Amino acid sequence: MKRHWKHILLRSGDPFIWLTGGALAASLLLVIGMIALIFVSGLGFFWPHALTKFDLGDGKQVLGALMEREEVPNPDNPEHAVRHRIKVKQGNRDLYGMDFLWIDEDQIKSRELPGDAVQVERMEWGHFYGYVKEVKDGDKPVATGAEAFAKVQALLPEAERIREEIRSLERDSVGEINYYQNQVRLKLKKLHMDGVDTGPEVDALTKEMDSWQQKYIDLTKRIAELKAKQTYSVSFTAPAGALASGEREKTMALAEILRVDKPNHMSFVEKCSYYLAKVWEFVAADPRESNTEGGVFPAIFGTVMMVMIMSVLVTPLGVLAAFYLREYAKQGTMVSIVRIAVNNLAGVPSIVFGVFGVGFFIYFMGAGTDKALFPEMLPTPTFGTGGILWASLTLSLLTVPVVIVATEEGLAAIPPSMREGSLALGATKFETTVRVVLPAVMPSILTGLILAMARAAGEVAPLMITGVVKLAPSLPLDGYFPYVHLERKFMHLGFHIYDVGFQSPNVDAARPMVFTTTLLLLGIIVLLNIGAIFIRNRLRKKFSAATAAI
Amino acid sequence: MSVPTQKPDASTKGAAGTVGLRPAGEIPNPLHGNPARTARRRHIDVLSRVVVSFGGAAIIFCILAILIVILHETIPLFKGASAQPQAAYATAGVESVMCVDCDEYLDTGYFVHAKGVYLFNLSDGKPAAEQPSLPLGEARVVAHSDLMHGSRTLALSDRRILPLDFSFRATFPKGAEGPRIIVPKVEPHAAVQLKDVPATSTIRALAYLHDGERAFHAAAMDTGELILLRTAESTGGGMFASEDDEKDTALEQLRLPLKLEGQTNAMVFSETGDYLYAGTEAGEFIAIDLRKPEAAAISSRVDLGKEHGAIRELGILLGGTTLVTATEDGTVQAWQNLRQPDNTRELTLIRTFKPHGGKPNSFSRSRRNKGFLTADTTGHVLLHYSTTGATQLDLKADVGDLSSVALSPKGDAIVAAGQDGRVQTWSLHNEHPESTLGSLFGQVWYEGYERPEHVWQSTGGSDEFESKFGLTPLIVGTIKGTFYALLFAIPLALLSALYVSQFMHPNLRTWVKPTVEIMAALPSVVLGFLAGLWLAPKVESIAPGVFMTILVTPATILAALFVWEFLPDKVRHRLPKGHEVYLLLPIVLVGGWLSLQLGEFVNTGLFGGDYRNWLRDEWKIKYDQRNSLVVGLAMGVAVIPIIFTIAEDSLSNVPQHLKAGALALGSTPWQAAVLVILPTASPGIFSAIMIGFGRAVGETMIVLMATGNTPVMDMSMFSGFRALSANIAVELPEAPEGSTHYRTLFLGALLLFFMTFSVNTLAEMIRLRLRRKYRVL
Repeated sequence: MKRHWKHILLRSGDPFIWLTGGALAASLLLVIGMIALIFVSGLGFFWPHALTKFDLGDGKQVLGALMEREEVPNPDNPEHAVRHRIKVKQGNRDLYGMDFLWIDEDQIKSRELPGDAVQVERMEWGHFYGYVKEVKDGDKPVATGAEAFAKVQALLPEAERIREEIRSLERDSVGEINYYQNQVRLKLKKLHMDGVDTGPEVDALTKEMDSWQQKYIDLTKRIAELKAKQTYSVSFTAPAGALASGEREKTMALAEILRVDKPNHMSFVEKCSYYLAKVWEFVAADPRESNTEGGVFPAIFGTVMMVMIMSVLVTPLGVLAAFYLREYAKQGTMVSIVRIAVNNLAGVPSIVFGVFGVGFFIYFMGAGTDKALFPEMLPTPTFGTGGILWASLTLSLLTVPVVIVATEEGLAAIPPSMREGSLALGATKFETTVRVVLPAVMPSILTGLILAMARAAGEVAPLMITGVVKLAPSLPLDGYFPYVHLERKFMHLGFHIYDVGFQSPNVDAARPMVFTTTLLLLGIIVLLNIGAIFIRNRLRKKFSAATAAI
Repeated sequence: MSVPTQKPDASTKGAAGTVGLRPAGEIPNPLHGNPARTARRRHIDVLSRVVVSFGGAAIIFCILAILIVILHETIPLFKGASAQPQAAYATAGVESVMCVDCDEYLDTGYFVHAKGVYLFNLSDGKPAAEQPSLPLGEARVVAHSDLMHGSRTLALSDRRILPLDFSFRATFPKGAEGPRIIVPKVEPHAAVQLKDVPATSTIRALAYLHDGERAFHAAAMDTGELILLRTAESTGGGMFASEDDEKDTALEQLRLPLKLEGQTNAMVFSETGDYLYAGTEAGEFIAIDLRKPEAAAISSRVDLGKEHGAIRELGILLGGTTLVTATEDGTVQAWQNLRQPDNTRELTLIRTFKPHGGKPNSFSRSRRNKGFLTADTTGHVLLHYSTTGATQLDLKADVGDLSSVALSPKGDAIVAAGQDGRVQTWSLHNEHPESTLGSLFGQVWYEGYERPEHVWQSTGGSDEFESKFGLTPLIVGTIKGTFYALLFAIPLALLSALYVSQFMHPNLRTWVKPTVEIMAALPSVVLGFLAGLWLAPKVESIAPGVFMTILVTPATILAALFVWEFLPDKVRHRLPKGHEVYLLLPIVLVGGWLSLQLGEFVNTGLFGGDYRNWLRDEWKIKYDQRNSLVVGLAMGVAVIPIIFTIAEDSLSNVPQHLKAGALALGSTPWQAAVLVILPTASPGIFSAIMIGFGRAVGETMIVLMATGNTPVMDMSMFSGFRALSANIAVELPEAPEGSTHYRTLFLGALLLFFMTFSVNTLAEMIRLRLRRKYRVL
């Protein structure tokens, strides 16, 4: 059959169908593109970059990793209408002042990959790129030139051991002493408020205080001893940068150095192991340098703990409400009101929940708790300020509609015959609900709970005002009584993204880290969602089979 | 089938067995096994019913609690001021009181009267144990200045000027928990004799200013001459010298090279001492430029005399910008010395307050905000607030011939004094004077602004900052962001929903729907991060291309279809109906690529290489990198799945026989979809859009991260905005509990709540109606 263009364009309606399909394709492409972008940028971050030496002439050199290449218009020269420039991560912020540098490709005389160029990760100032020159023990040179790199590698494990020991002493042991001293101080204050200023109780506490003080002095001695062992230092040379010719030297204490690599020399296997080590550091270590380096462990911990507390709170509330709506209530005005309330609760913006959390939980319940239980701490608030408990409570209100809707859906799918059979056998309504309906609806509750967790894990706005901080001094779970500290502020992956991406002093350097964090958060949420969808689909099949059997 | 039939059999047998053990005639009931156990089971059942109903009630409670808590925090904003009378008494031994004031603890009050300063207990009027002794000699006090940094200057009848330091120190003689004793102290500095003035003249008015480094005094003589006294510059000890040192340093005198006509009734300095303002008996309101005192000249004058009569009181509010005049006929007005385009300054009337019935004769400014008191001879005391233009209270003082009022330092009491020393005090509750409906939503003429404007600027550097709580820019911002998001999301979401529900193969549908659901679960912080850090710079470099996609991509699709239709059937049948999307994915990609190329072409061809310059030159539009276009795209991605899911549901729930009928009557699938399905499902689609709207209105992280967060009032696509939600997230942690700022943020949350509440309720009702309609069909 011959097709006429008029028919195609006007009669068949196919163009419109294709256009609607195009809209869907565009929406899908948006999502796919976005997720692909996050994947590529997030996963690539830890792969070791080759270090290139750019010769800019006049003895000016730049050593760094090539990050980006882009076109720049060149209207002055019509023959070469398009020029390119490259973005180089030159590191050495302490020497050059900035991590990144744009270089016009025209300026570059030559490029090479120097085999002995090293990448140094250190406690401060970001990466250092250069060459190892010399290792010294105090003032005494130990190794120079080619051996120096091997020597550094050999010395690093011991240096790390000492650094870790000092850190654990400084943080854990000193923290412990501080904690107990503070406890004693508070007990004294409470006694004072009760009118007791002298007596055996006060004496005992003062003595305890002194013993902690003694322990503290011992500890500082021990730390000083360890610090005295950190005698090694390493000298590096680096190009003087794009603006000056020659070389600059930089000496760092070995204790400052986390790891030294020769990325240009690495084999594929070495690169893989480097990658895995960095991924592990990201997941398991504490952040450094105002969150732009190191790991995100406290943020992962805070997110997980907050979601856990929220789940414990939201499940009973949501399940009860759903059972009320489907199993117990007479369908009438009351049910309609509850249903509209549920729908509205789902539609209320998350920030409004946050505002409610601030007004009700923090300033009303929290301040009340402080007055009743912690008068000795005032005016420093304990519960009267943002904390993980209030954030979790706020989020459980936010997510309760999710659980209700999922549970209701499950309840509706259970064939009435199952309930009727149980009732006909003489079971009470309660027994039917618990023994027959509840097991059958369990997967739905689980689905709802998982969806609620996914929603809670990704929500940031209400947390910003109810207790999230950019850097929490301690986790809400630790070794001191009562072990779970619900009043503490916490870190959160989503807030971490916002904070590092937008509040960080060095956004350019932090950006890859943010992509990785985003990937992690997105991974958690997508996995939770896929899990929920999977459970729901299995459930549907099971029940459609059950209905078919009856 | 065998198992279900077995079970009832077994239970019937069991029941029959029980029946056998019971006395005859009783109805067999399985619940009658063991009475105690049965009762227990009943109790549990009843209890469980209560618990479960409680769960339902808890949800209603939650929604009510949100409403109540937010309302509870918001309502005090609109509570006006209230004053309760505290004490009224007469004091003895004072002569023609000119001025009354009190300390911040409301313990001690004092008069400035003809014979000096008189201290008394504020609650009962008893004289203080120790009265200050001032070096007055035979002279009488004739004028006084305002209080500034704890100092006040008196003018004496023998043309001397006497600066005084007032201090009220709280002491705890019996330890920190003992009673508080206030020790009042009035310390005179060396009096300064005015030189170069006739011996017969007297001082009419006095102004005093201390800018932290230097002290300025200005005296207006009854001859019209103006004398400026200031701390000699050379002796200035700099910022860190103690104030006492400076006040004792010599004052240099300077006669200003101008004369005021008529008698000066009141005089004040501007905040920095650059200007001196005077109000005269003839009703002239004059601003004198003091930036070069040797060449001081009148920079602006307004004649109020004809209309309002003499200027009785002239005051300057905290911050030293807004001036207040009270004239003979009782009119109270606020003025600013506004900078004009030609860089001169002009006294400009900004608002008029509720007038007095009698002649105003007293003014007292608040030392915490922009409020002030005026009083008249009939004993009426009015409390005004400058920013809002509201007159909050009208009190009637019974102190005989009222001569002075004072607003206490903390703004928690009002003291009125009569000529003969009678005093009346009120306690004042005025938590949130700076917010009225008008100031929250209307245009307000703020200090330093050229005209009334909508402004949100909640915090400034100092206490003297005038907080600007105009919610309108934030509401406009919220609506702007929502508008652009929906502009992008609605077409894509609805067209996708139509395709998925009507034309897509069911097998594919089972994949597409969960994908879109996952899209809905994307955390907004992720979208916001991508929009702010990745998309914003990208869009900036390819903006013309972004606009091209609107035309080019559909054109590409149509062109592709045209080519497709003329391909041989063999190829075409490879792709069955309902799978077009496979083909469309690459086509849309190509369309996008084409539009970027074309955009680049247009940018160089039409806009001379940089469209931003073109926008600025041709349209006066500024391009911000983080703008509404970027927010629209990012928030659109957040809203698309919501609109899509609900619209798709309502489209695919349209009863199939309607479509079947249309197809049977010869319509094409497209006609059936658009003319039959779409109208039937339109309420559902409307409700989908409403819910999408609700989501976009409350979205916080995307607008926070992808806009510049500047509260602007335009609707331009290329500028940023500040939304209500982002504003709350940023400012609530810093707002002190119970402050006006805090409560205004709660009001913002309340607005968001109501916006989404109404829209969601509407959408829900529409959906319920639709469900009923389908049932009928």
